[in-house]
Amino acid sequence: MTIDNQPIAATDTLDCSGLLCPLPVYKAALALGKLEAGDILELITTDPGALEDIPAMARQRGDTLLSTDDNGTTQVFYLEKGAA
Amino acid sequence: MTSVLNDRVLRSDRSLQRFDDIRDLLPGPDNPTPMVRVSRILPATGLDVFLKLEWLNPFGSIKDRAAAYLLSGLIERGELGDRELVEASSGNTAIALAALAALDGVKLTVTIPDGVPEEKKIQLRMLGAEVWPTPDDLCPVDNPKDGAIALARSLAASDGGNRYVMPNQYENPDNVKAHYETTGPEIWNQTEGNVEYFLAGFGTTGTLTGTGRYLKERNPDVKVIAIEPEKGHRLPGLKSFQEAKQPGILDWDVIDEVIRVDDEPAYAMTKRLYREEGLMVGPSTGAIVHAASLIDAERGVAVGVSPDSGLKYTEFFADVLGDEGTPQI
Repeated sequence: MTIDNQPIAATDTLDCSGLLCPLPVYKAALALGKLEAGDILELITTDPGALEDIPAMARQRGDTLLSTDDNGTTQVFYLEKGAA
Repeated sequence: MTSVLNDRVLRSDRSLQRFDDIRDLLPGPDNPTPMVRVSRILPATGLDVFLKLEWLNPFGSIKDRAAAYLLSGLIERGELGDRELVEASSGNTAIALAALAALDGVKLTVTIPDGVPEEKKIQLRMLGAEVWPTPDDLCPVDNPKDGAIALARSLAASDGGNRYVMPNQYENPDNVKAHYETTGPEIWNQTEGNVEYFLAGFGTTGTLTGTGRYLKERNPDVKVIAIEPEKGHRLPGLKSFQEAKQPGILDWDVIDEVIRVDDEPAYAMTKRLYREEGLMVGPSTGAIVHAASLIDAERGVAVGVSPDSGLKYTEFFADVLGDEGTPQI
């Protein structure tokens, strides 16, 4: 994964394939809670509802959504944990 | 199972209150929970108000009834199979379900609102359940204040529904059936058919719908009164349908009146019940008795549900008490 041609190295990966929302939101919040500020979580989902829920969760928690990739069946999010 | 003492087999005997299995203590018309008159706070000069002490059930609350029916219904219909249980609960249903599931060797995961007292979460974990504390606003986009229910539903539906089954006390008719077949007949029998008012809080609404339906079938003039907390309340176990989704099992046809109760009078009444009646009840009972005190009737018999004891709510009571009962120097 790159942003502006700079590679992003995920600190941790959470695979929520097969899980329906809001389960990926719950698990992502738990996973982010265990990371340090500035760490990056790679989150994989297969529920299209995540395309709305994950950005909203990031805003609510004060994390930064670095990128979203959706190929129609799988979504991959890169989330940077905020300072709060 | 039997126990042996002095070479004699001591068999289960209800007349001696001796049982082989804790489940034999589950309530029903042959084993009703006690009713006690609220005789000092609401003297029997007009309306006689009784509380039905559901915290004397084996797993500590009125939810013993629903949990037993929910679990046996799933097993009898072959819907459980070798799957695990997942349920959304503010604690009491989950505690009863966890105890009963453990007795049947079934694993339970509980999604529980964040604000539920720690005591309940620890009791659940003691019973072997897995506990997932859940914020009410878990779903950031579609945001009714029912994050625990949404999470339990998503667990049950994920992975093709192969791992979990959700009894779903909010939608499952077995919840209503439990109260139609037990709580209702018990109250009818214990009041010798004289009950005129029945009071219970909004929650899953199984108690109101099932008990109310039974009592109204026996006497259509029985008034069923629902107690609803205000939005943003701190009355655990109760739900405000101004902010939470109405359960599918709620039958408005059996409800005659809704009385909204603020936190303050509910906690004030809870304190009075402790001190003036010796009734160590949870705050939802305080809300129900406060509502009963507002009934405009010169005479009659009212029965309110006392869903659980105050022992699980020390965190809430500590806030209410402040420094009351500590040395004032």
